[in-house]
This record gives sequence, structure tokens and C-alpha cells, in this order.
Amino acid sequence: MKALIEQIRDRAAELLSSGRVDCVIGYKQGTVPMQEQPFFAHTPEDARQLTWSVFCTQNLANFLINRPGKNAVLAKGCVSRSIVGLIKENQIDRDDVYILGIHSPGMVGASKVQERFPGKVLHQVTLEGGELVVQGLDFTEKVPFDEVRRDNCITCTHRNATLYDEFIGEKGEETGGGDIDKVAAPWDALNPDERWESFNQTFQDCIRCYACRNACPLCYCDTCFVDEHNPQWCGKGQQQTDIQTFHLLRAFHCAGRCVDCGACESACPMGIRMRLLTSRLELNVREKYQYSPGLDMESVPPLSYYRQDDPEINSD
Amino acid sequence: MSKWEPKIMAFLCNWCSYGAADLAGVGRLQYSPGIKVIRLPCSGGMNPKYILQAFRHGMDGVWVSGCHPGDCHYLSGNMYARRRFVMFRDLVEYVGLEPGRLHFSWISAAEAGKFQETARKVVAAVKTLGPAKRLVKDIQGEII
Amino acid sequence: MSDKILKKSEIGLLLDRLRSEYRTYAPARQGTSVDWKPLDRAEDLCWTFGNTDMSPKKFFFPQTERLMHFNNDPEAPEGRAMQPESERDFRQALIGIRPCDAKAFRILDRVFGKAESARDPYWQEKREKALLIGLACKDPHPSCFCTSMQCGPHHREGLDVLMTDLDDQVLLTGLTDKGEALIAEFADAPADLLEQAEEQKQEAEKPIGAVANLDNIGAKDLLELYEAGIWDRINEPCLTCGTCTFYCPVCHCFDIQDETQGTYGHRIRNWDTCMSRLFTLHTSGHNPRGTKKDRVRQRFMHKFKYMPMKLEGSAGCVGCGRCVQRCPVNLDVREVIDQMGRAVCPEPV
Repeated sequence: MKALIEQIRDRAAELLSSGRVDCVIGYKQGTVPMQEQPFFAHTPEDARQLTWSVFCTQNLANFLINRPGKNAVLAKGCVSRSIVGLIKENQIDRDDVYILGIHSPGMVGASKVQERFPGKVLHQVTLEGGELVVQGLDFTEKVPFDEVRRDNCITCTHRNATLYDEFIGEKGEETGGGDIDKVAAPWDALNPDERWESFNQTFQDCIRCYACRNACPLCYCDTCFVDEHNPQWCGKGQQQTDIQTFHLLRAFHCAGRCVDCGACESACPMGIRMRLLTSRLELNVREKYQYSPGLDMESVPPLSYYRQDDPEINSD
Repeated sequence: MSKWEPKIMAFLCNWCSYGAADLAGVGRLQYSPGIKVIRLPCSGGMNPKYILQAFRHGMDGVWVSGCHPGDCHYLSGNMYARRRFVMFRDLVEYVGLEPGRLHFSWISAAEAGKFQETARKVVAAVKTLGPAKRLVKDIQGEII
Repeated sequence: MSDKILKKSEIGLLLDRLRSEYRTYAPARQGTSVDWKPLDRAEDLCWTFGNTDMSPKKFFFPQTERLMHFNNDPEAPEGRAMQPESERDFRQALIGIRPCDAKAFRILDRVFGKAESARDPYWQEKREKALLIGLACKDPHPSCFCTSMQCGPHHREGLDVLMTDLDDQVLLTGLTDKGEALIAEFADAPADLLEQAEEQKQEAEKPIGAVANLDNIGAKDLLELYEAGIWDRINEPCLTCGTCTFYCPVCHCFDIQDETQGTYGHRIRNWDTCMSRLFTLHTSGHNPRGTKKDRVRQRFMHKFKYMPMKLEGSAGCVGCGRCVQRCPVNLDVREVIDQMGRAVCPEPV
């Protein structure tokens, strides 16, 4: 990790001092456990603050949209796949972004770590070897990192950047070890009443902060549907149907475009697992339309495309 | 319960399905008055927002109908709609909306009989499910 | 002000005195979350939580609140006019509120009641019917910085009673008439326990990190601080969601709208966030805070410059640290306050 960090800092400093880019978007050490900050290095001196770790949970592609000038971005697998999608949707100009591809070791699922220490305050969490060293006020414990990786990282199939101008470090294992098709859409096994119960339970804590929406690189609409008021599709209050409408529609708007970066779940302050919804859509995209977003620059997102032999709407 | 007629929101594409409804009317083919029609230029203009809005307002069922694939007045609108319908219905049924509340069909302007038949099927399916309770917004209830 | 002592095992005696008049609530742990829940039994009282995930401002300022309703039906008995929501017929007692949250409500009392012409009756009515029994902090969280925000782990502002956890005993300090009346019947606290409480307070204050003195920010010229270059960088990682504003016990912006269903309609107010792009969008289309930089700057200038100017030195922050813990991009308010304090104003040309 240390060697990679040095390489990131050196390359960033060179890109900045040569004037190739105006800004390098990466991560900086965070001030709370298990979180680094998205960082914008504007000078070679700034570049010395760049870091890289298993706590880099935000999707940096988000910050490229409407960002003026030429920018470099540190892109792990999911970030680069998001960038591919955004270029295809004309939100990013390929010539204005310099992609520093990198292999992702998988990011931490902070809530998974906290769940191992209920009621305890975590003061510091660091990665040593394959273990997280978790320190509290009066304890130090070790947790195997593999067991607390973020859900989407476990089932990831493209941990190396798919689009890049140069690659930092070596390419690594593509898959995270899990099988997304096995764990996607868990409510399929339930009957409608059970599904409704699970759906309610999953989203009942939502406070409509929109952290999930704002952290998502795909949500870049000038006026989000929640702010449309003539007619108003989605109330602004905390009534159950309004919360549900928001999540259903947002999941659907990302259907076929979502690269499963997990930024939404990492951003949610309430720990809501909205991938329980999105995984259903992405499973359909893979099974019915044989598509995986972000792997190439040519294919068209499935809901903007059709084939004559598409599956019919009714099985009869 | 047998007196209760479900309220069904029917989004019909202007060129085919709406034409079929018109033709059914001309031919005096009877179907439930619980079906409320909204005319769209094309099934490709169907937006999931409308479906959720219909349920929100207390509609017991939603039915969307367009031209047959290959016969769209705008050539390919219904081809995009086909993908959208499949994805959206799977999504809302995945979260627990009872199967049978959301229907899609392809009905051409000449198929007045099919329109009547499909209307009958939709109403029957929704009737067995009872009044809609999920995804409905009731503002008179307690605000927590 | 009175100091009384009660065995922790007998805390039920205190609760019994409340139950006849108040609905009682206390922080309760469920898995990894800590939230305000109705309190039924004294044994359920939790003494070891840090602070609740969401602040208790929802008791006085619910996230969605119906202000009035109407019926557009000509047959409606009350006529086709707006009907106010009836006043609450119950009182609320919050047991175990932390001093930072209680102080936050004192700040909001001034925001919602300072100007007679602009009182918020919805806030005030609930506040008048509430009793706050605070729990002094023994182990502050790493993200707490209350001591820099005119507050502290044993701060008394806004509380009716302050409880100090002395292991098997609880020191009860009555701070208002209501509070003193509540604890009057219990035994007076001996001097050695008062000393113990004082020691606990000092121990608790020690690890709390200090941030730049608010006076530094106060001394700067408003427009020069507004134009300082620091905001160009501070705003960059912000997602302009609403997490910080919703978790903050002092944030209080809201949006009012009507919703209708058939002939029934109601006017509700919902929490709103100044971080949203639409927050200051005018009907004309002009938006004075259309850029992210404008909005991020506004949030911190409001809390640490404008509010102290308007509220006789009171900042819009109590250092509870919730925003620090929850911000999805770890935009740390402590770092911002630091930068505001150190900003060179005016900027050299």
C-alpha cells in the first residue's frame, strides 16, 4: 500500500507541475475511523497529501461532472466503470479527464466493523497485513479484513480499472471472490406479503437526506424528480409511500447504468441497504439483456436500446 | 365485496390501443366503467413515475397498452417500452406489490375484441386482490 | 439549585413521579444504533450510550408536522376553512438528554421566539410542555468538541435536572423550579459526592479536542471572511446532501407546503436543507446560492459568524459531533472552523 501511495503522489505531482491537468482528484486521510476524504490536489505540494487505503469508499467519478478544466482522477474498478458510463452519457469529455487506473483491494464495510463492537466507540482502525486493527478507548482487537469488506466489493467482477490513461501499480485479481448472481435480489424467495414487509423494514429509517442520490455519479439531473412539483411525484414528508416512491424511482433511473460501486450504501448515515433493490434490476439486466455497464465504450445502456428478440412482457 | 368495482388506470397509446378502445365503444362492446383512460402519444412515452403516481392516488390497478412490437407508429417507441415494462414490473412486484395489479399489453387499433377481453382480464385480476393498500398515499392518517 | 442523591437501583422512584404527568422517553440501544424510544421501565434506562444517532429535536420540531387542515366539501361541518391542529394534550419528559442537545434547544428557543412578531407557536407549545432530565457525559466521543462551543460534558443550560452517573448512585441537580420540585423529596447529596461529580466533569473535559476560538472568527470582518479564498477548497468534496443539517440539533430550516387528497387537504412543514440547490431558488429563476461554494460557505458562515452576531455571541453549534461522524465525505466542521479562524483577512492581493 505504501509503495502505491508514493506512486500516486509522485504521478499526481508530475501531472500538476507539467500542467497536464489542473487538479488531481483522489483521497486524503480522514478524520474519523474508516473514512478517507475525497481530496482535490491543485499543486504538487497538495499532491503529497494524497493517500490510498481500504477506506476510500466514495466514488470520485461523481466530482467530474460539470467540473471545469482538465482533471486527473484516481480510479479503481468501479470508479472507472462509472466514468465510462458518464462519457457515454455525455457528462464527461474523455479529453478532459486523465484516468489513473488502480486495482481495488475492496473497501471496508464500516457498519460491518461496528457491528462487531456494539455499544463501543471506535477511535482508530488501520489495516495491517490482512487484518483491521480496531482500537477503542480500552481495547484493541483484530478483525480479518476479508470478513468486513463492503458487500458490493465481495461480489465485484472488475476490480481493475477498465478505462485508464495509465495504471498505478500492478493489476490484481479481478473478482472479489463472491458471486453476485447468487446474492442478488434476495427477496425473490419471498411471497408478496413477506416482500412488502422486508421492503418496509429496509427503508423505514430513511430520513430523505439524499446522501445516496448525491453520492451516486449517475444522479446528475439538474432537477431531480423529487423536486418536480407540477405534478408532484414524491412528497417531501416522511410518509411511508413518499419514502418508498423515492427509492423505487431512483433505483429504476439507475437501472442498467449502475456499476454497483456501493457509494450509496457507504454514504447512507442510517445504514440503509438500498442495493437490496438495485440488485434486482441489475440481475434482470444481466440475465435478460446480457449487459454489464462500464466495460467498454461502444455498447449502449440497455434501457436506451432494444433488440427484436427481447423477452416479451407477458409470458403467454 | 362483489359490489366493489376496482379503479383501474389505463394508459393507452394514441395510435393503437386508444383506437382499439374507441372501436370497442363504437361496437358497443361492454367493459367495466372502473377503467379510467389516459391517452399517451406512444407507449414509449410511458414513465414509471405515472404508474407510481396512479397507485399513490389510490388506483387499484394500472394497465399500460401499446402497439405490437414492429407496428409502433413512431417505429420503435414500444420496443423501448417493452424493456422498461419488464424491468419495472419486476421491480414493483419484487418489493411486494401483488402480482395482478400492474398489467401490460399490446393491442392494435383493429383489435376491439382483444381490448374488451384484456379489460375484462385486468378487472378480474384486480378484483380478486381487493382494494389497493400498498404504495397508496393517505394523507389523512397520522403523521409520525 | 439543589443537589440530591439517589441510588441508581431506585431511579424508578424518579420515573414514577413523572409518569402521571408526562410521556417518558429515553435513549435506547438497538444493535449499533441508539435512538429515543418510549421508556416504560426503570431497568430499561441506558447509562452507557454516547449520544443518540439523531438528535431529540424531533420532539419539538418533527421532521414532518401537520400545521393545519381543511376540507373543501361544502357539507363539511367546520366549513371550508383552514382548521388548526389541536394542541397536544400530553407532556413529554426526555430522560438522559445530553447537555449539548439541551443547549441546542435553548439556542433554538431564541431563533423561534426572540422576535415577538415571528414566534413559532408550534415549537414553543411543545417546549413549554416538556421536561428535560440531562445525563452528564463521562466518556466523550472522539468527535465531540462541545468545550469550544460554549458548552461542555456537564453543561447545565436548558436542563430542568442534570443527572451525574456516580456508578451505583446518581447525583440529581435541580436547575429550574420544575426540576427542583421533581427531586425535592430525595436526600441531599453529601459534599464528597459533589466533589466526585466535579472530578468527573474535569476528567471528561480533558480528552475533548479544542477547535479554533470562536472569538477569532468573531473578530474578522464579515465581508472579508466571506470573500476569503478558503471557501474554494472547503466546498470541493461536499455532496450538498442534507445529512449534516438533519443530524444537527441546532439546524432548523423547514419548507411548508400543502398536500391534497380529494376534498381533504393539509398544510405540512418538513425539514429542509440549505445545502440543496433549490433552497434559495426564486420564482423568477434567480438563485442567490446557486453554486456549491455559495451553499457550503453559507452553512459555516451562518453557524459561526451570522448567528453569533444576531444572538449575542451564541454560535449555531454545540459541538455534538454528529455531522463529523455522519458526513459521507468526512467534511469535518472542526477543520472548517479552524480554517475560518486562521483565514488571513483581507486576502493579500
